[in-house]
Amino acid sequence: MPEVEYTTKMALPRSLVWDFVKDMNNWAPMLTGYQKHEIIDDKDSIWTLKGDVGILSRMVRLKFHITEWNDRDRVAFTLEGLNEKVDGGGLLVMEEVKSDAPPPPPPKKRWFGRRFLDWLARKMFRRMHGEGPKRLAAPAAADGGTQLTFTLRMDAGGPTGPLVNAMLGPALLPAAEDLANKIAAHLENTHLAAA
Amino acid sequence: MWFKKSQKWQLEVDVVVIGSGAAGAVAALAAHAGKAKVLVLEKTDKFGGTTAVSGGVVWVPCNKHMAEVGIADAFDDALGYVTRLTDGKSDPALVRRYLEIAPQMIDFIEGATPIAFKALGRYPDYHPEFEGGRPGGRSLDPGLFDTNTLGAWKDKLRRSPVFGMTAMSVSEATDWGVFSKPSALPFGLLAKRFKQGLVCYGGALSGGLLKALLDRGIEPMLSTAAQELIVEEDRVVGVRAKQGEKEILIGAKRGVVLASGGFEWNADMCKRFLGGPLTHPNSPPGNDGDGLKMAMSLGADLGNMSEAWWCPSLMVPGEEYDKRQLHRGDFATRSLPHSVIVNRKGQRFVNEAHNYNDLMKAFFAFDPVAYERTNLPAWIVIDQQYLDRYALLTYVPGMPVPEWLVKADTLEELAGKIGVDANGLGATIARFNRAALEGVDPDFRRGESVYDHFYGDPEHKPNPNLGTIEKGPFYAIQVHTGAIGTKGGARTDGDGRVLRPDGTAITGLYAAGNVMAGVTGAGYPGAGATIGAAMTFGFLAGKHAASRSV
Repeated sequence: MPEVEYTTKMALPRSLVWDFVKDMNNWAPMLTGYQKHEIIDDKDSIWTLKGDVGILSRMVRLKFHITEWNDRDRVAFTLEGLNEKVDGGGLLVMEEVKSDAPPPPPPKKRWFGRRFLDWLARKMFRRMHGEGPKRLAAPAAADGGTQLTFTLRMDAGGPTGPLVNAMLGPALLPAAEDLANKIAAHLENTHLAAA
Repeated sequence: MWFKKSQKWQLEVDVVVIGSGAAGAVAALAAHAGKAKVLVLEKTDKFGGTTAVSGGVVWVPCNKHMAEVGIADAFDDALGYVTRLTDGKSDPALVRRYLEIAPQMIDFIEGATPIAFKALGRYPDYHPEFEGGRPGGRSLDPGLFDTNTLGAWKDKLRRSPVFGMTAMSVSEATDWGVFSKPSALPFGLLAKRFKQGLVCYGGALSGGLLKALLDRGIEPMLSTAAQELIVEEDRVVGVRAKQGEKEILIGAKRGVVLASGGFEWNADMCKRFLGGPLTHPNSPPGNDGDGLKMAMSLGADLGNMSEAWWCPSLMVPGEEYDKRQLHRGDFATRSLPHSVIVNRKGQRFVNEAHNYNDLMKAFFAFDPVAYERTNLPAWIVIDQQYLDRYALLTYVPGMPVPEWLVKADTLEELAGKIGVDANGLGATIARFNRAALEGVDPDFRRGESVYDHFYGDPEHKPNPNLGTIEKGPFYAIQVHTGAIGTKGGARTDGDGRVLRPDGTAITGLYAAGNVMAGVTGAGYPGAGATIGAAMTFGFLAGKHAASRSV
């Protein structure tokens, strides 16, 4: 079963990261190939992603079921393919980084174009999701900030499973990196830029 | 531009080849063998063109490998057979030239590349029962190719969206029952081969050709689009090309070979020239007729412009290749038991298992009174028996029933969902079921030819192509009109030189492959006739260009 893990760090307190991550509407559009998602209830939702399978890309509908919701630092979930014989799961873990590991430096003052793009991204985000996270000055990070670890595993079943897994494997790590980095970049852009 | 003044070239070689499919690659190798300095331009970011996404088979009558599978051939048999299929749409001298030179071309390729062909003893010609046809042997399989041998070029080889992930040779696919026993394919082995970097079919052929080019120091220039042929004193002397926004003038002292593919992705050209609607091409989206337009701008004569290598197309909505909706050619669904194709009246109109090129002509039938195409739109109708046994596009038995199939509990309900006359469909299926039980199709002769059987289920009795449609749920998928390439283009002589309408050659300009007026005219003699002719005229063009005095 292809499984990957990716960790990134943010110079932000865990509570702030959690506030963002706990609402999947915030980060769902950051998933690689995201098309749409539909919330069914507190634990279940259906996600439509355009995924690269080897050479071509294909629409995959996945049922996302939350299995663990450890308030403040941990979300575990399972995935079940609705139109493809594939299942899997994942884990998002937020940990405070202690001071012996130096936090990443605060971002440099961005050039005008970059600040404009950030502003545009926030505006689009609000158009898609209402008010969304407010642009606040970052609360002081505890020690070295927060470490976000994203674990993702997918397993294709059926007779073609071994072959599909061979193709899925190389695509999983970039997907995990992409999501973790986008969450980090979004939070840092929103909070640290204003600090 | 005609009579343009001398240019200062950024690059100057003897022969410039435009396009990196089999026609272009073989032209480049042949020109190099003739001591020419060669440059290959490819406008996409991948090497291989249409060839790389194809079955990679090469149709060569009288090839030396036929003896290895115990099949005899005769030149006159092949000549008579191909001539009949052209329907008078190609120059008989070119047909003869193709058949005479193709075996030499194979010898040259096997000597110049790592490719070792194998004759496919069980892959029949597409009209094997016609006089001069053969039940196998003329189609050559390039086998598997290890992309690791390409070094840094490994990821620059174009991969087929359909065959690019399942590395099995055509012989293996036949032996393993790729159509009739999809669940039994050795997917573990295929996964291992995928991880090892092995490719098959057109990927193997293109990979072998690319390796030979690289071994000779010929590094194709990718993402480089030829825009214009440069002419001095009535002869083609170079090419203006673009790399992004950068313009490059490339001198070609001995000639330019157009091997840029067909025009099937150019909707305007398709409407203006083709004999039927081509809405869902199966090739890479780069084939938009740019090379043909360059030849036309120099006054090239045209031929075979109404023809394509037609192929029925099916779609999984949302499945994309090169950022465009993928249209998959259908080779087996319609040939396996428990399937039919019907028109809006719910009527069958063709032997569904017939070869894909000639099958499509029945889709273009025109009712002059109603002033409409009788058989479009068309649908493949199958039942649960089909899904229990056979594959369909991305579906393999054991997987969830795809959402892109229209599903209904009864045939009447299915007819309503797809806009087909329910009474007509009911009557058609009842008649088809009787034929299936008897194993004989009196209406369209499906399941008579050894060709039909190749794509059928050999274990299904009494006929490998006929099975009842009676077990619900019932399913349908629309069949679209596609092609693996057009085959109308610049008329050439026997050395691939592009001709004007008066029959004189445009000095320094050659064409091969789908940009050339197709030598097989309306017909499709056998698997790989596309690539066989393309490689043969690429070979001739490259040789001739290299031999020109500077």
